[in-house]
Amino acid sequence: MTRSAVETNRWTALRAPAAVAAVAVVSVSYLAAVNPHEGGNYPTCPSLLLTGFYCPGCGSLRAIHDLAHGDVVGALDMNILAVIAIPWLVWRWYAWTAAAAGRTITRKPAPAWAIYALAGAIVVYWIARNLPPLAPYLAP
Amino acid sequence: MSEIPPPPPPPAFPPPSPGVGGAPPANNLVWGILTTILCCLPFGIVSIIKAAEVNGKWASGDYAGAQASAEAAKKWAIVSAIVAVGVWILYFVFIVGLGVLSSTSS
Repeated sequence: MTRSAVETNRWTALRAPAAVAAVAVVSVSYLAAVNPHEGGNYPTCPSLLLTGFYCPGCGSLRAIHDLAHGDVVGALDMNILAVIAIPWLVWRWYAWTAAAAGRTITRKPAPAWAIYALAGAIVVYWIARNLPPLAPYLAP
Repeated sequence: MSEIPPPPPPPAFPPPSPGVGGAPPANNLVWGILTTILCCLPFGIVSIIKAAEVNGKWASGDYAGAQASAEAAKKWAIVSAIVAVGVWILYFVFIVGLGVLSSTSS
């Protein structure tokens, strides 16, 4: 393959990461501008409406809004998981982009127990934020 | 008349090159977590557990098993996303339907 063909492929490979970044920037800007704390700006999540329970993702929009305004404490109050997940997702996006750009990133795969622990933590969070004694701390 | 020899069987799909230093198959953990947070469905949790299996099986040398778990992780993330999109579509149809009903009955 010629050098220019390699260059072209590289730009093609960067299209998907660029599209994801664009969607993320637009979404976060919209969330920052249109306050999800005020009722009526966004529809109620169907899972909350149907089941009456908070799911592990409930409060994510409000958490992202708070983070966009620099209010980390407010974001943690809305959804701890989202606050933890966002930097990790940004890192995964960076690694994906770097790999698409031809950089080799060597990293050790996460140990299985850590991912099992994560799945367990999500389920515990799901249950705990719906328990009345814990709801003041964990519910959005 | 000589029979036309049957075409040679297609070469078997080369197995992913396992080995020390090799990378495990993509465990699709990003999709598992995204669909868990965005879709609020138990399928996302299944996807995360399958992602854990990928890394566990790979670490213990079960490369075929890791590949199977990676595919399962992908499948459950897709199921979660499709069901969530379906629920949201039904939800919006329901909201619009209620809006139409209330506007016509008032």
